[in-house]
Amino acid sequence: MRNLLNFLTRYNNLIIFLFLEGIAFYLLTTGNNYHNSRLLNSVRGMTRGIEARIYNTTSYLSLHEINENLAAENVALKNSIGKLVRKENSLFSTVNDSVNKQQYLHTSAEVIENSINRQKNFFTINKGESQGIKVDMAVISASGVAGVIVGCSKNYSVAMSLLNLDFKLSARIKSNGYFGSLSWDGRDYRYAILSEIPQHVIVNVGDTIETTGYSAIFPEGVIVGTVSDYEKFGGDFYKISILLMTDFKKLHFVDVIGNMKKTEQLELEKLFK
Amino acid sequence: MINSILRFGLIFILLILLQVLLFNNIQFSGYVNPYVYILFILLLPIEIPAWLLLLLSFATGLIIDFFSGSPGMHTFATVFAGFVRPYVLRIISLSDGYESGPDPSMLVYGFRWFLSYTLLIVLVHHTTLFYLEVFRFADFFRTLLRVLLSSLFSITFILLIEFYRRGK
Repeated sequence: MRNLLNFLTRYNNLIIFLFLEGIAFYLLTTGNNYHNSRLLNSVRGMTRGIEARIYNTTSYLSLHEINENLAAENVALKNSIGKLVRKENSLFSTVNDSVNKQQYLHTSAEVIENSINRQKNFFTINKGESQGIKVDMAVISASGVAGVIVGCSKNYSVAMSLLNLDFKLSARIKSNGYFGSLSWDGRDYRYAILSEIPQHVIVNVGDTIETTGYSAIFPEGVIVGTVSDYEKFGGDFYKISILLMTDFKKLHFVDVIGNMKKTEQLELEKLFK
Repeated sequence: MINSILRFGLIFILLILLQVLLFNNIQFSGYVNPYVYILFILLLPIEIPAWLLLLLSFATGLIIDFFSGSPGMHTFATVFAGFVRPYVLRIISLSDGYESGPDPSMLVYGFRWFLSYTLLIVLVHHTTLFYLEVFRFADFFRTLLRVLLSSLFSITFILLIEFYRRGK
């Protein structure tokens, strides 16, 4: 007993040190698992008020640019509505299919907190469970892919940005349909890497890269970016550098996309695995 | 006693605000992320008990973690920096030892001493932090470059703050 007390008094600082580092390490390993992000949500809840206030000020300063972007998007949407209306009118049957007609549900949201300078970046949006946001929904900006929802509270959600070492996306070259795996290498916030494209495929600088829709998260054909550079990598594959369409440095308005048939697809696929 | 608690409380709040509102928003190519809040650990009095130093480091890191949404990362690095501080002080000790009263500032011990003190602790802190952030040893040298560049900027800002304090 006496020895134990001696030991404790002699090494008490080391013990405190190890204890505190133990807590920190526990937070680090459990907290970074954003799929059970309870801790994260409660932690972010404390600072959200301040973040929202900072966001209010900064967003006011860039209103002009946002307006321009929204106007441009409106024009594009109006054009596509025009096309759709014409197509529907030319149909013979008028089957009102309320179950299967719509596969993807869009919800618009604002980004209230964002980072691009870490290795694992996340952003927060101002919609949550009450507005129908769920984990694993896709997030796109007006110009392209932005991220995936990984945690929701009542009125807010945290999304894993494409600029995250853990982010993986199935993407393909639009012109020939060959698909590979898209990820970020942590270097530059404007570029991502597309790998697993075999070397016999013809790749050109400027080719458009889009999503495949294989993952049941992103709809098919969402633009990711364009090929900016490619090199041979390993024996058989290219390592293609993609210039991202989304400018993560000014991510403001995003669309959250829910796939209404996701459970159906996943359950069917599970039968064969 | 009360006076110095008040003073360090004020320094603490100012540094946290500076870090969260200003330095966390510096997004310069992904290689430079200055973390200036570590200055608080540097400035604490030399004769502070080690356990108190560790607890204060823990609190500092935890608050920074709250604001950057990175649970545990800053806490771990700051506690480690607090742990090595007594050893760093011993390594770079002056020939006539430390005086018992004043804080380890540039004002008292001069520029060269303060520079080596800051350099060692900032390097320890940033190395722990950035390797924890990536959590893998692939891209070892790129992370090392991030450590060095960010440390350079952190140290510069810390010295600027200290020069400003000296000028007043």
